[in-house]
Amino acid sequence: MSDTAAVNVPPRAANRTGNLVRRVLVAMGPLIVLLVMVIFLWITAPAFRSPTSLMLIGLEAAAIGIVAAGQTFVILTGGIDLSVEAMVSFSGVVAAILIAGTSEAGGQIAHGIPAAAAILIALSAGAGVGLFQGLIITAFNMNPFIVTLGFRSILLGVSLVWTRGAGINIQKDSLLSFLTASFEVGSLKVPMPLVIAIIIYAIVWVILRHTKFGRYTYAIGGNETAAKLSGINVNLTKIFIYGISGLLASISGVLVMGRLQSGAYQNGTNMTLISVAAVVIGGTALSGGTGGIWGTLVGVFIIRVVDAGLVYLNVPSNAKEIVIGAIIVLAVGLDVIRRGEVKWLRFGRRAGT
Amino acid sequence: MSHTDLPNGSHEPLLLEMRAITKRFPGVLALNEVNFDVRRGEVHALVGENGAGKSTLMKILSGVYIRDSGDVIFKGQHVNFTTPRQAQVAGITTIYQELNQVAQMSVTENIFLGSEIERGVLVDWPQMHRQARALLAKLHLDIDPRLPLSSLGVGQQQMVEVAKALHHRSDLIIMDEPTSALSVREIEDLFAIIRELKAQGVSIVYISHHLDEAFEITDRITVLRDGRHITTQPTGALNVDSLIRYMVGRDVSEQFPKEVVPRGPEVLRVENLTQGDRLRNISFTAYAGEVLGIAGLVGAGRTELMRAIFGADPIDSGRFYVDGRPVTIHSPRDAIRHGIGLLTEDRKQQGLVLKMTTRENITMSVLPRLTRGLLTSRRREAALAQRFIDNLAIKTPSQNQLVINLSGGTQQKVVLSKWMATEPRVLIFDEPTRGIDVGAKVEIYKLMNQLARQGVAILMVSSELPEIMGMSDRIMVIREGEVTGFINRADYPDTQALQEKIMEYATGSNKIVPETA
Repeated sequence: MSDTAAVNVPPRAANRTGNLVRRVLVAMGPLIVLLVMVIFLWITAPAFRSPTSLMLIGLEAAAIGIVAAGQTFVILTGGIDLSVEAMVSFSGVVAAILIAGTSEAGGQIAHGIPAAAAILIALSAGAGVGLFQGLIITAFNMNPFIVTLGFRSILLGVSLVWTRGAGINIQKDSLLSFLTASFEVGSLKVPMPLVIAIIIYAIVWVILRHTKFGRYTYAIGGNETAAKLSGINVNLTKIFIYGISGLLASISGVLVMGRLQSGAYQNGTNMTLISVAAVVIGGTALSGGTGGIWGTLVGVFIIRVVDAGLVYLNVPSNAKEIVIGAIIVLAVGLDVIRRGEVKWLRFGRRAGT
Repeated sequence: MSHTDLPNGSHEPLLLEMRAITKRFPGVLALNEVNFDVRRGEVHALVGENGAGKSTLMKILSGVYIRDSGDVIFKGQHVNFTTPRQAQVAGITTIYQELNQVAQMSVTENIFLGSEIERGVLVDWPQMHRQARALLAKLHLDIDPRLPLSSLGVGQQQMVEVAKALHHRSDLIIMDEPTSALSVREIEDLFAIIRELKAQGVSIVYISHHLDEAFEITDRITVLRDGRHITTQPTGALNVDSLIRYMVGRDVSEQFPKEVVPRGPEVLRVENLTQGDRLRNISFTAYAGEVLGIAGLVGAGRTELMRAIFGADPIDSGRFYVDGRPVTIHSPRDAIRHGIGLLTEDRKQQGLVLKMTTRENITMSVLPRLTRGLLTSRRREAALAQRFIDNLAIKTPSQNQLVINLSGGTQQKVVLSKWMATEPRVLIFDEPTRGIDVGAKVEIYKLMNQLARQGVAILMVSSELPEIMGMSDRIMVIREGEVTGFINRADYPDTQALQEKIMEYATGSNKIVPETA
C-alpha cells in the first residue's frame, strides 16, 4: 500500500524545515564555514592574502590532504587508521636514507640511489605496511583502532632506530626539486604538492563514485553483513583500503621530506588527529557508509586556514594546540548532531508538540 | 473461542477510552478521529496493514507522541501523557518488538532498571532479588533472577519484560508484535501468561501481523486502515477472510496464489552436509520450478542450513551439486557464482545497505558485470535498476531513493531484485514475508510463482505454517539439525492432516524417513 506507507512517519522525519536545515548543513555547512573564514581573514588580515601566505597554506593543506584522502577511504568503511602520521615519518625516513646513502644524520651526502628509485621503494614500503595492517585486521578480525595504533608505535620506533632520533638530510635532485617546487599562476604561487593533491582527490573521487571498488567501500561501511552476503569480497576490499591509506600517507611523507630536505621521525606529527578531524568536518560519518572525498578537502582547508588565521590574528603559537583540539571535539560534535542523535538539538523537530 | 473464557465478558467496565484521536504529521493525516477502547481484563487486538496507524495510536497512548485532538480517558480520568514515563507511572506499559533491555545485566537489574530499591545510598540486592522472584513466580516462571539476561532465550527475555510491567503495577500492557521472535512453544507460554494476566484483571492491547494469533488469544478486534477506525467486533464474530477484507478494504482473492509448475530437472543436490551439532548429515535435492518448503521449530537449524548452503558459514563436511556437477562453496561469492542466492530473514540487518539508494542495492551483486574497463557504467546500471523497478512494481519515487525510506514490502522487492539480477538457478527465501503487509505478501508469492515458471529452484524457510503449506510443492522438515521427513504437498489435500504431519516431524515423534522425490 504505497499511499498508506507514508502515514506512519517517524518523528525524525516529522519536521520538514528541520530536515531542510540539516540537509543544507550537511551538504554546504563546511564550505560556508570555510568561505566565511577566508573572507574574514582576507579583509582583516592583509598578510593572509599575500601570495606566500596562500602558498604556504596550500602546501600544508596538500601534505595533510593527501593523508586525509586515504583516511576518508578507511573511515567510509567504518574503520580508522591511526598509523598515518607514523607512516608519513617512516616513508620520509626510508626515502631519505636511500637518497643520502647513509643513516648518519647531517651527512648531506648524495651517494645514495636516485630519488625516483628511492621514492618508489618508500611508497611500496608504505603501501606494503598498509596492506599488511589490513591483512591482520581482516584475517584475525581485529579492531582497526588497536592494530593501527600498534603500527603507529612500530613505525615511529623503526624511524627512530634507523635515524637514531635525528633527521637524515638530503640534497634534492631534479625530480625532488620538481615535486616540491611552486610555479606562478598570475600573482599566485601554486605549490606542486597541492597540484599532486588535487590530482589524487580527482582520482579518489572517480574511484569512489564510478568504480565497483568505491561502491563496495560505501557498502561495507553501510552494512558489512549485507555486503558480504551480496557476494562482495569484504576482506580483500578492506585490505586494499588500508593499503591505499598507507600508500597515500607515504606519498605525503615523501613530499614533506623533500620539502624539508630531511627525513625525521617527527615529520608526520599530529597528522593522524588532523586527518580524522578533516574527514569528519567534511561530512563523513565516523560510523562509515556516508560521506565523500570533496568534504574532506574542505575539512582540510578549514583546519589549515584556522591554523594560519591564528597566526595572523596574533594568537600565540603555544595556544594553537588548544584551538586544534577544540576543532576536533567540535567536528565530532557536528558529526553527532548531523546524524540527529542529540535530542535537544534536533532543530525544533518537536516544536509545537 | 477464547473470548467465552472471560468470566463476565463484555460487561466489564471500560479501563481505557480514546475518543476521536487525530494526529497529523507534516503532509499526512496519520490518525483521523480514531475511537478505541479497552475493557478491564480484556485482550484487545489492534490490526491493520503497515501504515494503518496502529503504532501511532499506541504511541499517543503511551506518551511518545502527542495527539493533535481527541480525548484519552484512563481509569475514569482524562489524561494527557507527554512522556512514556508518565504513562508508565499511571499504569500503561509497552512491550516493544525490539526489547529495550540490557543483556549484560541480571534479570533483577532489568526488572528494577530505573526504580532500584535502596537502603541508604546502597542498592538493596536481597530485597530486589526477593521481589523479582515473586514477580516471576506470579507468571509461573522458574528463572533465577541473578542470571544475566543474555543467558535466557528470547521468549524468556520477553517474559522478564512482562514481569517488569507487573512490577510497575500496570493495568494495561501494550504488546507490539510480541511473537515475532518466538518459537511455537514460547508462543504457547506467552499465551498462557496472557490468560493469567487477564485473570488477574490486567488488560492487554495485542498488535500482530499474525491473524491466527489474534483469533486465538483476543476477546475483541479493532481494525484500522489509512488512519481511520474501520470496525471493532467481538473476535468470535469475525473470521480470517472478513478480517482481511476490513484490513485491505477489498477482497484479497487468495492469500496464497500458488501455481503448480511442472517439475524440471535437478538443480541443487546437497549430500551429507554436517556442521558441528547444528546440522547433521543433511541430504536433499531441489528441482527446477519447485518450491521446497523448509519447516521446523525455531532453533531446528533451518537458517543455519541455508547459510551453510550459501557459504556464509563454514561446514565440516558435505557435498554440493548444481545441475548435477559437484561444486565447492566456501563463501557467498562462490555460491553466487554457482547461481545460488539468499534472501536473509533479516532484511535490514543482512539484506540491504539502508543508507544506499534503491539502484545501488539492486545492482550490488552484479557490479562486475556492469563494469567496463575500470569504471562502472552508470547508464547500464540505471537501466538494469529501472527494469526491476518496473517489472516488480517497486514503489519508490526514484532510483535514488534511500532504501531506508521504503516500506517493508518494497524493501523485500529490492532484495529480491538484487538476487534476480544475478540470474540465479537456486533462490533461498528465509522468512520471505516477515513483517510485510497482506497485500505485499501476495505480490511476493506471485513473484515466487514467476521465478518457478522460469525454472528457478526455490527453497523457502518459514515459521508460518500456512505459508509453508500454501506455497510449497514439497516440504522438508528439520528437527534439531536433522532432516526428519519430506512431504509431498499433493499427498495431503487436507490442510489439517498436513499440519499434523509437519508438526509430527518437527517435534520428533517420527523416525528419519527416506526422501520422497
